Amino acid sequence: MSISPKSISRRILLKTTAAGGALAAFVGGFSETGRKLVRGAWAGERPADPISGNAPAPEFRVDPASGDIALNPDQIVANVACLGCTTLCGVRVRVDVARNRVLRVAGNPYNPLSTDPFLPYGTPIKESFRSLSRLDEKGLQGRSTACGRGNAALEMLTSPFRITTPMKRVGPRGSGKWEPIAFDRLVEEIAEGGDLFGEGPVEGLRSLRDLKTPIDPAAPELGAKVNQVALLSSVNDGREPFVRRFFNQAFGTINFVGHGSYCGGAYRSGSGAVFGDAKAMPHAKPDLQNAEFVLFIGTAPSNAGNPFKRQAMLLAKGRTDGVLNYVVVDPVLTNADNRAVGGRSDWIPIRPGTDGALVMGMMRWMFENGRIDAKYLSQPNGKAAEAAGEAGWCNATHLVIVRKGHPREGRLLRASDMGWVTLDETERYGAKDAFVVLDTDGKPVAHDALAAAATLFHDGPVATPSGEVAVKTGLTLLRDETMKMDLPGCAEVCGVPADVIAGLAHEFTSHGKKAAANAHGGMMAGNGFYNAFGVVTLNTLIGNLNWKGGTIVGGGRFPDEQDGPRYKLASFPGQVKPSGIAISRPVPYERSSEFKAKKEAGKPYPSRAPWYPNAPQLTTEYLTSGLVDGYPYPLKALVLWNSNPVYGIPGIRAAVEAKLRDPKALPLIVAIDPFINETSAFADYLVPDTVLYETWGWAAPWAGVPTKTTTARWPVVDPRTDALADGRHVQMESFLIAMAKRLGLPGFGPDAIEDMAGNTHPLERPEDWYLRGGANIAWLGKQPVPDASDEDIALSGVGRVLPALKTVLKPEEWRKVAFILARGGRYQNQAEGFEGDKATHRFAKPLLVYNEALGASRSSVTGRRWTGTAAWMAPVFADGTPVDRVHRPADWPFRLVSSKSVLVSAYTIAASRLRHLHPENPVGINAEDARSLGIETGDRIRIATPGGAELATAIVRHGVMPGVLAVEHGFGHKEYGARPHVIGGRSQPAVPEIGAGVNLNDLGLADPTRQGASVWVDPVAGTAVRQGIPARLERIAAAA
Amino acid sequence: MDRSRRNFCLGAGAVAAGAASLEPAPAAAIQARRGGDPAHRWGMVVDVRKCVGCQACTVACIMENDVPENSFRTIVSTYEVTERGKAGSTMLPRLCNHCEDAPCIPVCPTGATFQRRDGIVVVDNSVCVGCAYCVQACPYDARFINHETQTADKCTFCVHRVDAGLLPACVETCVGGARIFGDLNDPDSSVSRLVREADPKVLKPEQGTRPRVFYVGLDPKFQGKVDGTPTLWRPSAHADRAHAEKEHA
Amino acid sequence: MDTSIVELINVTREVAWLPWAVQYFFLIGLSVGGLLLSLPGYAFATTFAQEGWRRLGRLALLVALTCGLAAPVALLSDLHQPGRFWHFYVVFRPSSWMWWGSVFIPFYVTGLLVYAWACLREELQEHGRVDSRLAALYRLAALGGGRDDRLIRATGLVVLGGAALVALYTGVEVAVVKARPLWHTPILPLQFLTTALAGAAGLVLVLNRFAAGNDRGVERLANRLLAGFLGAVMLFGGLWLALGLSGIERTHAEALESVANSEAWRVTALWAVLATVVPFAIAVARPVGSGLLTGLIAVHGAWMFRWTVFIGGQTVPKTGAGFYEYALPAGPDGLLGIVGTAGLWLFLLLVITAFLPVPPDPASRPMSRPLRAMAAE
Ligand SMILES: Nc1nc2c(c(=O)[nH]1)N[C@H]1C(S)=C(S)[C@@H](COP(=O)(O)OP(=O)(O)OC[C@H]3O[C@@H](n4cnc5c(=O)[nH]c(N)nc54)[C@H](O)[C@@H]3O)O[C@H]1N2
Ligand SMILES: Nc1nc2c(c(=O)[nH]1)N[C@H]1C(S)=C(S)[C@@H](COP(=O)(O)OP(=O)(O)OC[C@H]3O[C@@H](n4cnc5c(=O)[nH]c(N)nc54)[C@H](O)[C@@H]3O)O[C@H]1N2
Ligand code: SF4
Ligand code: SF4
Ligand code: SF4
Ligand code: SF4
Ligand code: SF4
Ligand SMILES: [Mo]
Repeated sequence: MSISPKSISRRILLKTTAAGGALAAFVGGFSETGRKLVRGAWAGERPADPISGNAPAPEFRVDPASGDIALNPDQIVANVACLGCTTLCGVRVRVDVARNRVLRVAGNPYNPLSTDPFLPYGTPIKESFRSLSRLDEKGLQGRSTACGRGNAALEMLTSPFRITTPMKRVGPRGSGKWEPIAFDRLVEEIAEGGDLFGEGPVEGLRSLRDLKTPIDPAAPELGAKVNQVALLSSVNDGREPFVRRFFNQAFGTINFVGHGSYCGGAYRSGSGAVFGDAKAMPHAKPDLQNAEFVLFIGTAPSNAGNPFKRQAMLLAKGRTDGVLNYVVVDPVLTNADNRAVGGRSDWIPIRPGTDGALVMGMMRWMFENGRIDAKYLSQPNGKAAEAAGEAGWCNATHLVIVRKGHPREGRLLRASDMGWVTLDETERYGAKDAFVVLDTDGKPVAHDALAAAATLFHDGPVATPSGEVAVKTGLTLLRDETMKMDLPGCAEVCGVPADVIAGLAHEFTSHGKKAAANAHGGMMAGNGFYNAFGVVTLNTLIGNLNWKGGTIVGGGRFPDEQDGPRYKLASFPGQVKPSGIAISRPVPYERSSEFKAKKEAGKPYPSRAPWYPNAPQLTTEYLTSGLVDGYPYPLKALVLWNSNPVYGIPGIRAAVEAKLRDPKALPLIVAIDPFINETSAFADYLVPDTVLYETWGWAAPWAGVPTKTTTARWPVVDPRTDALADGRHVQMESFLIAMAKRLGLPGFGPDAIEDMAGNTHPLERPEDWYLRGGANIAWLGKQPVPDASDEDIALSGVGRVLPALKTVLKPEEWRKVAFILARGGRYQNQAEGFEGDKATHRFAKPLLVYNEALGASRSSVTGRRWTGTAAWMAPVFADGTPVDRVHRPADWPFRLVSSKSVLVSAYTIAASRLRHLHPENPVGINAEDARSLGIETGDRIRIATPGGAELATAIVRHGVMPGVLAVEHGFGHKEYGARPHVIGGRSQPAVPEIGAGVNLNDLGLADPTRQGASVWVDPVAGTAVRQGIPARLERIAAAA
Repeated sequence: MDRSRRNFCLGAGAVAAGAASLEPAPAAAIQARRGGDPAHRWGMVVDVRKCVGCQACTVACIMENDVPENSFRTIVSTYEVTERGKAGSTMLPRLCNHCEDAPCIPVCPTGATFQRRDGIVVVDNSVCVGCAYCVQACPYDARFINHETQTADKCTFCVHRVDAGLLPACVETCVGGARIFGDLNDPDSSVSRLVREADPKVLKPEQGTRPRVFYVGLDPKFQGKVDGTPTLWRPSAHADRAHAEKEHA
Repeated sequence: MDTSIVELINVTREVAWLPWAVQYFFLIGLSVGGLLLSLPGYAFATTFAQEGWRRLGRLALLVALTCGLAAPVALLSDLHQPGRFWHFYVVFRPSSWMWWGSVFIPFYVTGLLVYAWACLREELQEHGRVDSRLAALYRLAALGGGRDDRLIRATGLVVLGGAALVALYTGVEVAVVKARPLWHTPILPLQFLTTALAGAAGLVLVLNRFAAGNDRGVERLANRLLAGFLGAVMLFGGLWLALGLSGIERTHAEALESVANSEAWRVTALWAVLATVVPFAIAVARPVGSGLLTGLIAVHGAWMFRWTVFIGGQTVPKTGAGFYEYALPAGPDGLLGIVGTAGLWLFLLLVITAFLPVPPDPASRPMSRPLRAMAAE
């Protein structure tokens, strides 16, 4: 081997280079180690404590022997309300006072939504602390909880996506660019309008508040121009009366709508049909504490359901230590089930949108087997019922005119029809005009004249002064409906085997009054109203209302916003009574000018778009009709508070997005929200609102609590929204107050609130309203609440708001309100929920087996009368065409359904801790279906519906009905941080994970049988259809 | 056989797979304990029949203990189980078992992991070198390396709260009332009563760890490693930490 | 895919022993293997009085040294608190095999350095005799002495003890982890050892090709050794499988069960078999001319085995269903760390061979054995 010096130096060079490279790799690879070594003993962050890390010091200590309490002076423990979902539980928050931070959340032990058994109301705060501790295992017995969301919701306070400054859009609507503006300018611009965006003039609220000029002189019934301003809200978070005071009573618009039509409106309407109130839609809940058997059809307690936590808590207890057995009928297996309790919990899969067939089958079996509560059903009035030992009554025996073509066909036969009374036009067929029943001898009598049972079934003529009329009892009509389809037929429709249907009916009728059926979100199908009517009618047939273990309407609340006992909060001088027809047309079409004109033209039906006389106001129509079509009139300004219809309503985005972006279509959109959501992203102005524990309010459970309950919301931390010069913060209340003052509206300002003695008080700050509401609450009931002790005040954190209490309230009032605030609300004691076997708070009016208002009204599209009892109707579009006939199953073999996420609610996506625990919502597909399509868990799939297409991840399950695609709700966000907005030139952080997963609502349908813009709704209830959306599916790719 | 010897011998037979006995740990092991009040022996009974899978416990634990993102001291594993064509839901809250004979302790080369005299197994984060040997040795995946502190982390039974006379965060907020916490040395406590009367199981009894978290109503299929389709969960790529201001810093 | 149990909500755990651990176990294994391979040519030179053993030993020593020096650095990096490494040394924790490891490693590495010095002293001395600027340095390093077979043997025996302890502890440390059935087998330490020996023989073959002028004698010898080690690897692998399949030992059966149904693990198993059988066959059939290939495969096999045991093993959930996913991070905790350790090793190799080239530079080529024998007479 000959080695030249040149080659040697080349080798050396090579080697040196290699060594250098190797060294560089080493340095790179060990950089982290090196960095850590340099940091020495603490390579990571140094936590506060060697053992318990960064856990904050406990809020207080309880001596296990003596029970003595040692407080932590750095923290307060306050009872307020959670708003992690619409349950609005009473919770207890720990606040780090110096840092103005909520550290943690758990339950308020006085609050029935969080605790069972909950503490007697008089319990001193100190004792409540003991009740939560290890002391004598009290904390286990009286555990008071917050759920997963509730535990995480405090992140909303400090979320980087929270907005805290008023903002005005720059650039086109929806472009995601904003500039902060001063509060005063915000108020001024919205009030006065002008060329606000350089896009031409925009009408401000001042000129829009025209209480006189009719919107359409040809249709005066629509009301004045003021109605062209609409407010979309969500649920009463304890502040709705304040917002209503502004929009309805002071400003004067009729268009104020909550989220019911895309929440569980179909169920509520179906229930309203039974409870005889299509607007307030009362509903009862199973008494889970005492029930022996509960049938959940389209509601999944402890997976979702309202009240979420209370139901979950009682379900868990009932199925384990108690007497409860239950069945959940649902296309999707959820956390409502638990295998560990053996047969005590059961899941029965069903085809979406077919519950009517199931319950009609059950009722048929009940009729055929004599398993209805005839004693209850045959009581014609309340007195007879009471005498018979019943806790309520219904109109099963009331006679309905069934003669075809009779002018009163579908109406209940009345005393005046029989010639028993003569009443003038205004009173005829009103409350004084009794119904007619047959006594047990078959003789017609006024329903209220009978002291005993009436005939339950009758199908035949009755003699009236104007001749014989064919009538049936309401129950006969219902029985006839159930006989239209036999059990195998029902089974065929709903996919639940006939013997299971019979078995369910047998079980349901085997517990006397200690059985109940309940529904909710699962009713949001294209026939949800009738499905729900059927489910609730099951309860009627066993007469379980107002009974322990049956269904109960609950204790209701202690209302703050009424006139008295301390302050007049319901009325004020100069208040407006809103009039006209709301955008969603919740009145009979036959009263409209359109009807009259069309009738004159010879073709009264169809109306241009459906009317919903049997429903309340419906958000489902506001954006389509009001914004896109201007029917019955166009909207000019929209205020969004606390709501997000673009995310929540199936099919809405496709229907309205273009117009939402177009200021010409709707000149002014203002959103009052702590976040930029999918709807407020299209706003012109954003008004930041306070969240959760920064807010005042008086909230209440929807139902399900036997005792009266009002939950207090009060600020336990300083709001993070901008502070104004006078110390107030930017929030909904300060915005509306400032607006009212600027516009000179009544009901706000220096002398806005009257006390019972006629003295006036100001409404200038939120406390002016809520604390006086608190005084009203304090004085309700048999006697006012006690005064708070100094100790209560010291221990409950109420000291924080004491100055406000003392300023706003009278000397005799403030300690009482402090008593309420300290306990996070006012609560009737648990023992008072029942009197013997009956609920203390009962629904006293009759339940309707036959709903006259419904049975006598017509579809404004088809002109056909609706069925007045529960009935089976396939999912349909507005003109009555079954969906399957438009979107054929051969083309769309799957049905989409939506189930709530057990973990998140729509807007808690802002809470990263929840998101990280459950980052996405894979779509459930039945194992057999998956096999035939070659889909495996984790695969990417494409779901297409007639309304859109989305990519998703599949999860293969047996717990999904064949033919169903199960979409968990709460994901697929486009806002809340999924896309960073640019505010004053600065971009928000980009967190694309917030947009993970799919939102079923992006796949929702329009109604092809309607003209103009629409989303598919139930034809009676007008409620959004999110269950049973036709779809098809293909596999895109294997798991990543 | 004493604990360290057993760990030296490979394949030493598992301690009799008796489900839920309260047999105490070997004397040597008990001697090595420090801190805590030996009058108590803290333990938990999880009544899975009551669990609704709400994850209140999971989130409460995170919030109380500032558990880093994507890490969990406790989690409620939720399964869909199909048997003979019938599907149902199974919830299984998991956390550190505070084993009476905890395999995470002898392996620790620094003594950072130790057991208190009240049975609570803890990590001294000022001693731990982050070698993760204990993470490997725990048969329950109950431990992890905390990326913020760079030390081993796990459930502490909320020792700071228990010492203050309070309940662990996950217990106090358990919606279904499934988590029952108390003193196993006190025969009148709920946990003692349940262990006596409700025939509870423990996870992986064959590991001989003598867990002090007991399960009522647990399907034996879930006692060990579960055989099925795994979760689709992935750690989120994005550490939101950067912008979600630290709560307890 | 088994759908009778579907995990709807659960989380996964990350691996806690990072690729650093793989690198450590790989390097320390190769070092021990190299050390063992060096003994016949050095410490037992009188027993294995063959020039081939010496030349192989020289390369093996290089393997032992480079890997033995790089390994603790990787180990340090696997600690999440490297700055606290001294915490090991202020406690007595005999129940922890890792603690014993913290005692054995410095012992072994120190022993290795002394032993290597003893082995190379002769070369140092000879370099010191050449007229160069570094001569003084070499002389200093040689401490004024030359070859001392007794010293080599004595230090060799000590470091053999150290190597045995290291081999024992690295194997047992992992094998005692009852929580991981895949690890919890008495066969594992033997598998570590045999794969380490195979890897070391492989690295000798590779170095022989690149750093030692491709000595055919060394190649033949190393290939033979390699074949032997691979045979042992197969034996232990087969034993493990047999125990698992027979179900005699629960842990083994469990371990096998935990991976048997996984496609990825089946691929890994096939790969492992090929990575053993193929170089074995080649080494037996063509011991000369195949050294680079067999060597590379063997080195890769040793690494792969450890990767599979550590990273693969940690992706088997202890309680959850299926497997945890592992994606190699790009940074120091992953790829960069692996490259970094490789860089460190290469750097050490280059530095050492720059000062002590194999075979020694022609100019400083030491006296050949017969010459030396003559001179001694
Ligand atoms: N596919 C599908 N769609 C659904 C459902 C489903 O299960 N599946 N569920 C339906 C149901 S039941 C409902 S109730 C609706 C809910 O739909 P919405 O009633 O529209 O309510 P959220 O989407 O919850 O949005 C509420 C908004 O209120 C804001 N907010 C929260 N706290 C405060 C506060 O203190 N002040 C103010 N001003 N704003 C606040 C939030 O940031 C969020 O922007 O969605 C429905 N849509
Ligand atoms: N975890 C959680 N809890 C919540 C909320 C939340 O966001 N998250 N939100 C609260 C609110 S606003 C509400 S309104 C309630 C709603 O509470 P629920 O009504 O209990 O919840 P949903 O998920 O809307 O619907 C219930 C079930 O109906 C099923 N379903 C779908 N289609 C059909 C069908 O055609 N027939 C039948 N029988 N079932 C069907 C779904 O799979 C779902 O499991 O929950 C409240 N509680
Ligand atoms: S149920 Fe809803 S309101 Fe109650 S704690 Fe949970 S998130 Fe909060
Ligand atoms: S569960 Fe794991 S971490 Fe907890 S004590 Fe037992 S072995 Fe240790
Ligand atoms: S990670 Fe810490 S606690 Fe765990 S074994 Fe290592 S030193 Fe001990
Ligand atoms: S006891 Fe404390 S640390 Fe342990 S799981 Fe519960 S909350 Fe977490
Ligand atoms: S809080 Fe209780 S009920 Fe909820 S998931 Fe945890 S253990 Fe189960
Ligand atoms: Mo809702």
